[in-house]
Amino acid sequence: MDKRKEFESIVSEYSEQLYFMIRRIVLTHEDANDVLQNTFLKAWNAYDTFNRGSKLSTWLTRIAINESLDQLRRNKHMASAAAEDLSVADSLMADDFFDGNETEAMLQEAIAQLPEVQRTVFTLRYYDEMKYSDISKILNTSEGALKASYHIAVKKITEFFKERD
Amino acid sequence: MNEEMYIQEKVGKRNPFRVPEGYFDNLTAQVMQNLPEQPKRRAKSVFMRPVFYAAASVCALLVAGAAWMWHPAAEVSSAEPVQAKAVSQPQQQENADGYFDEAADYMMLDNHEIYAYLAESN
Repeated sequence: MDKRKEFESIVSEYSEQLYFMIRRIVLTHEDANDVLQNTFLKAWNAYDTFNRGSKLSTWLTRIAINESLDQLRRNKHMASAAAEDLSVADSLMADDFFDGNETEAMLQEAIAQLPEVQRTVFTLRYYDEMKYSDISKILNTSEGALKASYHIAVKKITEFFKERD
Repeated sequence: MNEEMYIQEKVGKRNPFRVPEGYFDNLTAQVMQNLPEQPKRRAKSVFMRPVFYAAASVCALLVAGAAWMWHPAAEVSSAEPVQAKAVSQPQQQENADGYFDEAADYMMLDNHEIYAYLAESN
């Protein structure tokens, strides 16, 4: 099969799954769309070097997560220079492309306060119900460290809600 | 109560994120449209990173030295090369790889140019 056609079928198969994985990290549709486009661009440019013995979904997810975290860092840098100081929950409740309730928005705020690794592990485990063995391959981190990260993330999120109850 | 269960019972796992109408229908075509015809392999490697950092350090030292010699008491000249200016910006260590990649793209130097630069500066 022609390489472009082959890649097109990959985009078609994985784009929705990757989109929501990205969106749960970057939160807005605009950022998620940008990150998804960058993800596929990077994947395309590295396509010739992709080891066909590895799992495609793992490879794509790794690129997507890295691009998402890069976007978060860019946003953080820009936010520190801007005057605006809306909370994550308030921003989401005002977002046309978020139809969650206030509690769901608060969960996103709690997740957004976590350090990068905990944030990533929590979203992949809680929402995607990904196995630790798969997360380990994506993040190149031991399963033990990931379990510890998840446990800490859950604890922090629980405390976040209990403080506000 | 188990803490994870507490979160699940309080919030659930529903996906609250929505997309514009038709977004996924057009997405594949849009992604493919934005891709170059052929993959563009980047001319960099992990092996070359120490050389890159060395070249970046040399650039920064040369700019600082030139600025001191030409304007010892004044500000750095605004005519300094864009590449060197990008290199002299302070970089955070928390993701050196990410910033390295950005610097590599910004400087648009490939391995051949780095070798040439290092040869000239010796």
